[in-house]
Amino acid sequence: MTVDENEANISWRLYICKACGLIYDEEQGDPDSGLAPGTRFEDIPDDWECPLCGVTKMDFEPYERPSLVAAPEPTQIGRRHADVVIVGAGLAGWQMAESLRALDSSLSITLITADSGDRYHKPELSLAISREQTPQSLVKETGSDAAARLGVYLLSNSYLTGISSACKNVRTTRGTLRYGALILALGAKPAWPPTLPQTLCWHVNHLATWQGFAETLGENQTIAIVGAGMVGCELAEDLTRSGHSVTLIDLAEQPLAALLPSEAAERLQQHFSAIGVTFIPGCAVQKVSLLDSGQRRCDLSNQSQIDVDHVVVATGLKTDARIAEAAGLDFERGIAVDPDCLQTSVDDIYALGDCISINGNPCRFIEPLAHQADTIAASITQIKPASYSHQSPVIRLKTPSLPIVMHGSPNHSLTWQTREASEDCLIMEQIDNGEVIARLQVG
Amino acid sequence: MSVAAERVADTQAFSDTDKVLADVETIAREQLKPLANRIDQEGFYPVDTLQALGEAGAFACHLDQYGQRFDVALQTMQSISRYCGSTGFVAWCHDVCGLYMEQSANPSLLARLPAHALAQTMGGTALSNPMKAITGIENMALTAEPVDGGYVVSGTLPWVSHIRPGQYCGAIAGVKAANSSRISHEMMFLLDVNDAVALRKCPKFSAMEGTSTWAIALDKYFLGTESIIADPLRPYIQKIRAAFILLQMGIGIGVCQGAIDSILEVEADLGHVNQFLHDRPQELLAEFEEIGARTMALAKTPYAQEKEFLLDVLDLRAQASEFGLKATQSALLHQGARGYLMQSPVQRRIREAQFVAIVTPAIKHLRWEMNKLMSEPVRV
Repeated sequence: MTVDENEANISWRLYICKACGLIYDEEQGDPDSGLAPGTRFEDIPDDWECPLCGVTKMDFEPYERPSLVAAPEPTQIGRRHADVVIVGAGLAGWQMAESLRALDSSLSITLITADSGDRYHKPELSLAISREQTPQSLVKETGSDAAARLGVYLLSNSYLTGISSACKNVRTTRGTLRYGALILALGAKPAWPPTLPQTLCWHVNHLATWQGFAETLGENQTIAIVGAGMVGCELAEDLTRSGHSVTLIDLAEQPLAALLPSEAAERLQQHFSAIGVTFIPGCAVQKVSLLDSGQRRCDLSNQSQIDVDHVVVATGLKTDARIAEAAGLDFERGIAVDPDCLQTSVDDIYALGDCISINGNPCRFIEPLAHQADTIAASITQIKPASYSHQSPVIRLKTPSLPIVMHGSPNHSLTWQTREASEDCLIMEQIDNGEVIARLQVG
Repeated sequence: MSVAAERVADTQAFSDTDKVLADVETIAREQLKPLANRIDQEGFYPVDTLQALGEAGAFACHLDQYGQRFDVALQTMQSISRYCGSTGFVAWCHDVCGLYMEQSANPSLLARLPAHALAQTMGGTALSNPMKAITGIENMALTAEPVDGGYVVSGTLPWVSHIRPGQYCGAIAGVKAANSSRISHEMMFLLDVNDAVALRKCPKFSAMEGTSTWAIALDKYFLGTESIIADPLRPYIQKIRAAFILLQMGIGIGVCQGAIDSILEVEADLGHVNQFLHDRPQELLAEFEEIGARTMALAKTPYAQEKEFLLDVLDLRAQASEFGLKATQSALLHQGARGYLMQSPVQRRIREAQFVAIVTPAIKHLRWEMNKLMSEPVRV
């Protein structure tokens, strides 16, 4: 037997990036970064980086696509009643459908979504412009194709308007449905400053609005980004790399101040300065108005004004409390869920993803979604015991020219200790009771 | 006695909530209930009963002058609707007309409000078409042209309830820009049904007879400033829209309560077979109580301006419509043949619940509006 034959007997494997959820498929390779189709994971050089977020192969782990028990027929009884109703067709909602189908082929599943249900990877949006992505290239699978593949009844372009837990039904803009179990994957919405008119400002928290922004973006535009959190910083680099002139405005004195210690934020600020991003610290945008030229005028709290072609709001996310609270669900910065089983405070209603909070803390990252979905699926199908243990995901800022990676759970009351500080690299740690609880690398 | 002094006296007269609720319940049960079949079958418009209800405070408590107690107004409307959905609808027409007058802050209309609050004078509402026009569902039926001292208004509204000669209603017209057929904005006014107004008979409806519903035809009807409710309209309608819709819950809840009454009425005799039906009374009562509790919670802040509040009201109103269809249908299945008699309130309530589901805002309009409110705004 030759070596080649031996290798061919091992089927192609998948690895998932723990930071951003990108899947490396050995069969496909990653030709853009020089990995030919068929490159085994162990043959990937150690300095190879995730093509989406830039972490190294150390932050990848083996991944198995949930397999279907049997190819189910698309269910037709889902319209008015379903064993499981999932609300939301973002990454969390579809992951939930995948996890349920992997355990049970016969459950009737209805998935309600405000949009078409097309599947795309939201973290890609903050670097999609410099990659010259289009909605077509971003959509991995259409909503209807995914629904057919998973045997899910897709109620698309429909909004959830209310929940009656006593009657086990959900009200939508297309009628009322009864559920056996309800899973909320509602996501989070931009926390929009009330001073900024929505009709004059963009956000990139959804494919459709990203598309609207991308389509109106000409060459060499001036863009104000309000908010220098993760998305604001990623977008600043993305747009600058695409030839635009970016002004980044934040209430804090440094970019990414909520996450990074001052020394690290200083490096990011210097990096922005070097690539041409103008950072305006300690400043709020008090007003945005439309000029006759079509430009937007931003009145800043430091009494200055800037005129730009576009304003993008990236001031963070928040979960809409209205429907959850009206249904009697406990809510604390998100829909409060049991940390072990992800059930809400009401029986038979579960929640996952960006809309939840665990012990009062939202966790709006991709990595935990699959574990959360598996936990809920196990609980509903009762095929295996359900147990979720929340771990802080790896946080990676998708700024390719100055990578920033955070491992662990930083504690805001602890100081950061510098482990290495060279021109190219800063490594800092937080230590609690002799144990490293968080590690940060810049560069 | 001055008008202002009268208002203070009236306000105190209805400050005892329990008395208002008990008096209205008694009138509804003893006077209105026996008339319900005649109202439904013969189109009898129960003017005397409406005046008795007005004297008891049924149409006053939601007004600011009487303490803005929407919860009380909703409960009185519920009592009326429990026995007669048509008259419950008239009560809503009367209530919102009073609300239009008061929120106008027009001194001429405020002077007329005390008599209206007591149902000494009566008037309804012609806002079905404009409410749909404003949200983009259909075109505005009335147009107004500015003239010296006011407007002249022309056009036809197909059916307006709780009006007759000597009565009045709130109405809206699109205002034509000078020397143009273009509509510059809309304005709202109190339309007095006088000799210049032609009332035309409406075709017979499935239900809602006895509501004195007419088609109104206006041909250059003159309107003075003393009748203006709001000009321009949009800020005003924004302010009252949720309250207008929320008050309709009194009809919805009352009809549903009547349906549940009818189910429980036959439980002792028919429970042994009715157990095989779905939508049983316990199940219906659970949702009924949930709807009632949500209504009372929203009634605390009827003029809240947040989008979230309007969404809550729209969702509640849609739920009540669906629930009414379910509960009244279930009541007929529970009662069987006895509920199917033409004189039975059980079959009548199915038609009343259908009205709740199609009157503006109908279920489809509510969903249209919620969809609009929840969608991303269009960027400039």
